[in-house]
Amino acid sequence: MKANCCRWYVVCVLLLSSMILVVSAASASSKKKTDAKANCDIQAGACVQALGEGSVTLEILPRPVKAMADLTFQVTVEGFSPDGNPGIDLDMPGMSMGPNHVTMEKISDSAYSGTGVVVRCPSGRTLWQADVTIPGIGTKAFRFDVVY
Amino acid sequence: MSSTDSIYLVFLVAGFTVGFGHCIGMCGPIVVSFCLGLKDRNRFVPNLFYNIGRTVTYTILGGILGAGGSFTGVVIPMQGFQKGVMIFAGILIALMGLAMTGWVAIPRIFSSGYSPFQKFFNTFQKLSKSSGIGGFFALGLLLGLLPCGPVYTALLSSARVGMEAAGPWQGALSGALVMFAFGVGTIPALLLIAGLSDMKWLKNRDIIYRIGGIMMIIVGIYFFVKGIMY
Repeated sequence: MKANCCRWYVVCVLLLSSMILVVSAASASSKKKTDAKANCDIQAGACVQALGEGSVTLEILPRPVKAMADLTFQVTVEGFSPDGNPGIDLDMPGMSMGPNHVTMEKISDSAYSGTGVVVRCPSGRTLWQADVTIPGIGTKAFRFDVVY
Repeated sequence: MSSTDSIYLVFLVAGFTVGFGHCIGMCGPIVVSFCLGLKDRNRFVPNLFYNIGRTVTYTILGGILGAGGSFTGVVIPMQGFQKGVMIFAGILIALMGLAMTGWVAIPRIFSSGYSPFQKFFNTFQKLSKSSGIGGFFALGLLLGLLPCGPVYTALLSSARVGMEAAGPWQGALSGALVMFAFGVGTIPALLLIAGLSDMKWLKNRDIIYRIGGIMMIIVGIYFFVKGIMY
């Protein structure tokens, strides 16, 4: 009888700790979600960010920018000359979606273009992040909402 | 190591890391539901076969995308079917949950005698009573079609390697290998979840199974609603 009570005590403690763990993980994840906000209205047009002594512009076409559609990513640099072609890594802030890299090719002295797809997450979240890496200069994160 | 060889390794590692993050959150509830449904039966072998089934589906999809070299051309038309799979998974999990609580006798739900429901119930009953291997492999094959962000990303890479391949056959092989590597990478996390949901060490497990049943009903409703909204 005593041993049975002990087992139940252990089970209750385990259940309670897992509930606490789940609740804290959920609150941490929702905090992460609220911390990561869009810094670029890609649906309205190109977004510009300062990098070093110059700037990086990201534009995604066609608009509206939809998930699960073929998209053209255009990067324009100003104020510096990169060591190579820029690259874009797409992911969801706070939830890894696996490696999704957009390879870019030079289309003019300062502009680069590449094609890619923003995949759809069944969770319903629409916030995505494009890390634009300029070789020899640095990386800039553009966070934007896509349309489902 | 060539760039095509390294992409397999990249997706094996991606599957492993995504497995311990994304998959535990999204597919973990399904695995726990099936494991609780197994009650005291061996859970490793059925779960292994569930994961093999899932990986086979991924590999076939990877082969198709690799052969065609187009992501949107294949995946967009498939989304309607995926929605159906998500709704089906929700109903299945909720029914297993209801059966586990013991509050509702499952046959009563289908007592109308309407044959499609009866067939569905018979399949469900066979699945839950079988030794697990065949049923879980079939479930894995079907649920491998569940809509999932990281799976889409891996499929996107399958289409890319297919585009770069010398021909459709080489593309199909490369695309299939990308998805195979990804699928294998996700298995350890889901097997671990299956192992952790083992309640054999408990003497009186009825209450745990009832709580598990309620959780399964909630998870089932969640998948059903997400499927409708998808």
